[in-house]
Amino acid sequence: MRILFVQPAPFEPGRLGLENAIWLSEPAAFTSLAAMVPDHECRILDLRLEPDSALNRELLAFRPDIVAVSCMTTDSYQAMAILQCAKNTLGADKVFCIAGGHHPSLAPYDFHQVSIIDAIAIGEGEDTFKELVAHLDQGGARRKLQRIDGLCFFDGAEWVTTTKRAQSRSMDSFPLPDRSLLKKYSGSYFFMSAMPMGSLSTSRGCAYDCNFCGIWEFYEKKVRFLSAARICDALEAMDESFVMFLDDNFLTSQKRLEELCDEIERRGIRKLYGAQGRADFVVKHPELMARLRKAGLTLLISGYETNDEQGLAALKKSSVADANKIAAKMLNDLGIAIFGIFMVRPDFTHADFDFLYQSIDEMRITLPIITIHTPLPGTQLRKLAQGNLLTEDVRFFDLLHAVTPTTLSREEFYTRFTEGWAKREWRNAPFLDFVKKRPDFMKITWRGLIHLTQMLVRYRPVATSPESHLRDEIGIIPADLTVLNAREKATDKAPIKTAPLPSSSKGLRIISDQAAE
Amino acid sequence: MTKSAATFLRDLRDEVESHPGTNHMFLCRLAWVPFTREDYLVASTQHYPLVGTFTRYLEELLLRAPTSEAKSWLAKVLVDEYGEGSDGKDHRTLYREYLVAAGLQGFDDLDTPLHKDVTAFVFEHLRIVKEEPFLVGLGAVGPGHEWSIPKMFPPIIQGLRKSGFSESSIVYFTLHALQDIDHGRWLEEALLLNASTSKAQQEIRRGTLLSLEARERFWSGVQDKVTRWRQPQNVHLRTQARGERFSLRSMAKEGLKDQLVRLRPPAQELTLRQLRAMTAVDKAA
Repeated sequence: MRILFVQPAPFEPGRLGLENAIWLSEPAAFTSLAAMVPDHECRILDLRLEPDSALNRELLAFRPDIVAVSCMTTDSYQAMAILQCAKNTLGADKVFCIAGGHHPSLAPYDFHQVSIIDAIAIGEGEDTFKELVAHLDQGGARRKLQRIDGLCFFDGAEWVTTTKRAQSRSMDSFPLPDRSLLKKYSGSYFFMSAMPMGSLSTSRGCAYDCNFCGIWEFYEKKVRFLSAARICDALEAMDESFVMFLDDNFLTSQKRLEELCDEIERRGIRKLYGAQGRADFVVKHPELMARLRKAGLTLLISGYETNDEQGLAALKKSSVADANKIAAKMLNDLGIAIFGIFMVRPDFTHADFDFLYQSIDEMRITLPIITIHTPLPGTQLRKLAQGNLLTEDVRFFDLLHAVTPTTLSREEFYTRFTEGWAKREWRNAPFLDFVKKRPDFMKITWRGLIHLTQMLVRYRPVATSPESHLRDEIGIIPADLTVLNAREKATDKAPIKTAPLPSSSKGLRIISDQAAE
Repeated sequence: MTKSAATFLRDLRDEVESHPGTNHMFLCRLAWVPFTREDYLVASTQHYPLVGTFTRYLEELLLRAPTSEAKSWLAKVLVDEYGEGSDGKDHRTLYREYLVAAGLQGFDDLDTPLHKDVTAFVFEHLRIVKEEPFLVGLGAVGPGHEWSIPKMFPPIIQGLRKSGFSESSIVYFTLHALQDIDHGRWLEEALLLNASTSKAQQEIRRGTLLSLEARERFWSGVQDKVTRWRQPQNVHLRTQARGERFSLRSMAKEGLKDQLVRLRPPAQELTLRQLRAMTAVDKAA
């Protein structure tokens, strides 16, 4: 069978969003799925790197039997548009369309669209996809998929969810991802200046249950690891000098990380790495962090969220503010770049913003990534915030828009929020310290600096302007809505009073024939 | 070997219905992304210039129809386009009703800047119907338009309904989705009689594809307007994929001169007033 995997871009071109500006990782889900069906012809189309028309042309040239998309929350409309395009172009009965990934797994009802979707893969997809392809290849009926676990499909009368697939298979038993399918995008993936960048998942799941995160629900709080030997096999097969570990929480097991350091040393693998991990783990394992640094760990993305103890407790973060501060100091001392994620809550006052920014500056974060506390679908937080949502438009769940009422006016809120980006950018002192401490990283990524500079110079005016956020909300969230009047507004039938249209919105000048006639 | 006219037309219909111009991603997005009325208004101001011009293409082509039979087919479609079957309202009137529903307030002016690919669409079709052989023109207005519209409009209608437009305000679209099935059939009858030779088939197909290629660029242009009014400065990788990226690698590959040409601001966009003056569409309407 011919299988086309399509990676959606998160937004229609031109919308505010940080995705793709500072980090673009390989569509690792597709390389893993493709490796499960080696007897079939697979292609990957990454629409983050392609013009829109590439999809139509690939559909016509390749004529796939199956089109598969994988998506997070913000790109789920785009995923549906892709499947619509596939059905329209090839004919509804001539192509089988399947959606999988984070959002379809946690909110499958959003994809109950009979006209464009034949099935939804729930949870880990490898075995589900393999069995589905075998079923279709043997001429199995599209609407009789009951025997395949982990699917939701329309059986002709209703959407049926099959038995939940046990997510217990050892990661070592999966074949290594088929990265040969990404040859055409070779050199295109990056994190900041690290370009080209390889991507590798060495574990799945997270043992913590932070209420703003859906990862632990997706993986049912189980954590599985790839063995050190398999990780090193994969690393040795990669040409890239910089590899990003895509694990949701790389810093989990001391034992496995020590084994990984041993194996990297034993094989003499000389690459640099980035990963995501928790601050409290860093604090508890100073020797291990030093070893990881020696083995090549160069940057760590950590969700510090806030330095306010009550705030951390409210997020069920299971960490304390002191751990954030100590971890930051340790990482700075080791020369590991800190990409600290912080959360601005919609109920922030000016004093809260001041406190957050002051603590970020004190921690000397290499690049703070400031986000807005967002009740993402599938999280505990979403259940708590459901009645308070200002919109269900998934594009706004990008951590850059307040989807619940703010305490400050929206304009003030976004002014303070963007100030966080504007004043703490990559040219700051902690970044320059890192540059001095890590000539090895600069040596292998200097070419990527041109790309990074381009991206930041072009993106900065957008990321640092409150108007960017308010423009996205025109016609959707009233500009004058705050926590004080949210209830009243919710029952107000009057049309939404939007922010004044920006002067540059020339497209909104109205045509009138009468004027001409 | 020359295909039979029926086989040729069947293959051509498949080609039209699967063409990127007919299944543009912007149309697919309209079906699923909850665009606001403001977004629809921006899109409509770009789409509206096409509304009055289709009759103009038919009129031009009618003048060049080689036989009275061909003239009568074109006339039949033309009469329908003038408003028969829609309570006497011509298409511009129906479209204005939609524009009002999308937020048109008062009467501004005709100075909405049009995307260059919107104006290019009109110029290209006028060129085809005036300068190309008759069958090329017939391919453009027939399969190029009447076969593609019934496939292009359903996702637009889906999006409009999702955004809360009433049925009465979107008659322009719902009417076309049905009416153009009839028009397509009438023109198909004409094409059946004219598509028996290899040369005729090539000309009809050429016109069809010229129209659809212009259509593909047109939808990209409309999408660009819709997204850029919210974020005129935004940057995404796909922006680069469209070829606006300046890099040492691309400079080395393509030369500095080409790169600098790319970086120039877009040429002054025409307004609807200017477009109409240049194409004398008002006169025809």
